[in-house]
Amino acid sequence: MASPTRATVADAPGIELVARRRLLLSPIDAFFRLHPGDHALVKEGEAVGRGQPVLEHFREPRTLVVQGASGEGNQLLPGDRAAPLGSRGRDGQHLDGELLFRSGGRWRIAGGERPEPLESPVAGVVHEVRPGAGVTIRSTANAVVGQTALAGPSWGKLQVATGADGELRAQHVDVGMAGSIIVAGARMDAEALTRARAVGIRGIVVAALGIKEQRDFLASERRGRAAVHGLPPFGILVLDGASRRPIASPLMALFEAIEGGMVAIVGDPPALVIDDPSVLLPVPPSDLVRVRSGPLAGAEGAWAGLAGPRRFPAGVTLEAAFVRFGGRPPVAIPLGDLERFA
Amino acid sequence: MTNVPRALLAIDAGSATTSVALLGKPWKRWRLLGSLAAPAGAPIDELAATVAARLISTDPRMAVELSISAESIGDLPRLKAVSKPPQTLAVLGASRRAVGLLESVAARTPWRIRTASPETHDPREMTELALRPEVSAVLVGAGDPPGPDERGWLDDLAGLVGAATRRRPDLRVVLAGPVAARPAWAEGAGRPFDGSQERIIEGPPLGLRVGPDEPLREILEGLLPATDSRHTSVRALLSLADTLDRTIELIDIGLDGGLRAMASPGIAEQGPAAIAVRTAQAALVPGEVDDDGVDAVLAWTTGSLDRHRMGDRLMDLRVAPWADVSGEGARLRLAATRAALARLDAQSPDIAAMPSPDVTIVSGGAFSVAPARAVALAVADTIRRPGTTQLASDHARVLGPIGTIDDPDERRALVADLADDLLAPIGSLVVVANVPTGRRSATRIGRITLEGDVQGRHDLVSGEVAFIDLAPGDRALATLEFRDAVRVGHRARRVAVPVSGGVAGLAVDMRDVPLRLPERRDRRRAALAAWGELAWPGDER
Repeated sequence: MASPTRATVADAPGIELVARRRLLLSPIDAFFRLHPGDHALVKEGEAVGRGQPVLEHFREPRTLVVQGASGEGNQLLPGDRAAPLGSRGRDGQHLDGELLFRSGGRWRIAGGERPEPLESPVAGVVHEVRPGAGVTIRSTANAVVGQTALAGPSWGKLQVATGADGELRAQHVDVGMAGSIIVAGARMDAEALTRARAVGIRGIVVAALGIKEQRDFLASERRGRAAVHGLPPFGILVLDGASRRPIASPLMALFEAIEGGMVAIVGDPPALVIDDPSVLLPVPPSDLVRVRSGPLAGAEGAWAGLAGPRRFPAGVTLEAAFVRFGGRPPVAIPLGDLERFA
Repeated sequence: MTNVPRALLAIDAGSATTSVALLGKPWKRWRLLGSLAAPAGAPIDELAATVAARLISTDPRMAVELSISAESIGDLPRLKAVSKPPQTLAVLGASRRAVGLLESVAARTPWRIRTASPETHDPREMTELALRPEVSAVLVGAGDPPGPDERGWLDDLAGLVGAATRRRPDLRVVLAGPVAARPAWAEGAGRPFDGSQERIIEGPPLGLRVGPDEPLREILEGLLPATDSRHTSVRALLSLADTLDRTIELIDIGLDGGLRAMASPGIAEQGPAAIAVRTAQAALVPGEVDDDGVDAVLAWTTGSLDRHRMGDRLMDLRVAPWADVSGEGARLRLAATRAALARLDAQSPDIAAMPSPDVTIVSGGAFSVAPARAVALAVADTIRRPGTTQLASDHARVLGPIGTIDDPDERRALVADLADDLLAPIGSLVVVANVPTGRRSATRIGRITLEGDVQGRHDLVSGEVAFIDLAPGDRALATLEFRDAVRVGHRARRVAVPVSGGVAGLAVDMRDVPLRLPERRDRRRAALAAWGELAWPGDER
């Protein structure tokens, strides 16, 4: 039964005009990019388990030029494998790449050295395999959709390391978190990210990550991937954007509800996939709204109706809504600065 | 009884916001009864119901007359224009030069562009680009005959694109030159090119020099949906120019792209004509926020944000363009708008070279909420065309929806009725060029007199912008007198121009054309801050 201050959508007229943020997505189609030369290890309709290799890509890709059969009757087509897996020419080079195109009687083949498998972070069914484009795995699990995902995919047990408004510093990242995906609060700096990867953390969920931190991390990721032994899986899921703000309370409640359970970070769409379907996930009140920007960014309150056009700082007139924070009188907030959850 | 509707909804569903306007015909002509915008994705019925509720509460008799009620609002006829995120076009050529030529044409279309040539990319990387799911078309070109820098790679390029068409049956290809005539095309595509496939379109070959790009642009734009609001609003602009018998420029900056169009009224037997440039490069925030994009916005700001923090703000603006519109967010938004306007101006030199239009309409979310003087200043900062123009805003965003009406007579009739309502007057902008630069700052170089102005004459100072109050609806003859000859449309020492009022009044711009901002950061910020003081309410940050 709804409390007097927690009404249903029907009792909160106008709230539909507030930008809706979808909390959970199910089913989810996780897409894994296949570059030319990469080899899909699964077929459409095949069931895959978490940790099962789904594709193999070359860490040192290259283009080969080989004399190809010409004329009619040649059955080889662009996108086909040039030769069985592991085939090598007389000079020892791999010939088991992907046919790109033929020109002047010679095939261009995308191949390479040092193949590396990519393991599925989620269990599901292979929905589509498009050579040279990607593999899509459909999972019926629930997923929390974020704004951006960097690196990944990855999976591990979820651990909430800070509060919604906290910031995980490098000195607070320790090996006890190894193997986990960490909820790291409002923001994280590049040093803490580097340390998190170094101690074996499998992923980070954070409200905001600045453009500098993203670039620093991706540069470090490229260097690590180019190294001899590569890198273990690690992913970052950014929930909101770039400027610091706390994690929304409905999301935090979700993370607390599934803490200790297995989750996965996928990049396309950027999401945190919740493995256990039996967990009872909390549902936010329908009249809850959150201020996502402006002076009150991060504050959450109850919808109190449309306020009509109002004048705000810088002399701008905007559509506004009343929001009640705690027991205080309602405050007019620009409609665009609010978000609701569903 | 008649079946002709007496009320309808004009809906502009943009990438950032959705706007709903309620149009009604209470007596003999159509009027704009109200409008409302909300973040993209907001239910249109809910927006319409809110607008209807406001009409019912303010003028219940009119609502009854037009049979508008909360229950019936969803049943009203709709004119709907939709803006979708730009699609990606892979631009491929056999040399870097060829790609550059193609890119310069494609940049003047709404496509988001990715380029590659054998000089810069491996065949594997070029194939990957053509196969990416987000790439929906490929533009491949070559000279006819191929240039010396193209001959070595042209066969490989033909084979590569031909193979891509075979692997992706949904991929559309525009051939700008004799690429498909190469034997390698048939090797890649599995069949010679015979023109039977609708998705493969032949265009004009690359020229050695830059020439008219309309034929290729038309082909590229023809691949995109015609319901896009930046497409349909040009049709409405034509009707408006014809109705008002004025040359009208439309400048639209949106989240995913910009539009600049110039329409002239019909003369004698000829109907109205327009030229338009739609470009994804004039997006309010580029899809990928890079250093150049950040610097372009920083150049227009007076705050103390460093490059990283500005990048963060732009990324947030990209993610939630409807948010953070007041306070400092409003200034940031207009700084990003100036950067986008500068990109739009750079992509439309043909329109920039035309004489100043009678009316300039600004449209899009970037302008919709800013103070009128700030909008006028943003336009004056970037569209540096000497002359006089009346500034107005498509405040209810109805031009796009009206442009969806296919019948030009029907469209013209609606525009004729709504002309007074759909444009909110911002004011008049007079840009004066060839102003003699004083040795000291604040040198008086002339004066302006408004006919019938009780305030008398106003001094004009070199290098500054003057805002003179002129209420909406007021008209006057402004006489500008200078010590030396200047250029306001034509070169003279004394110029008289008709001006009309608006919320911003009359803005007279005596700065350099083109605008030269100080190189030093502190001086540039000081100059921008001084101009900004005129445009933004003093203490309302």
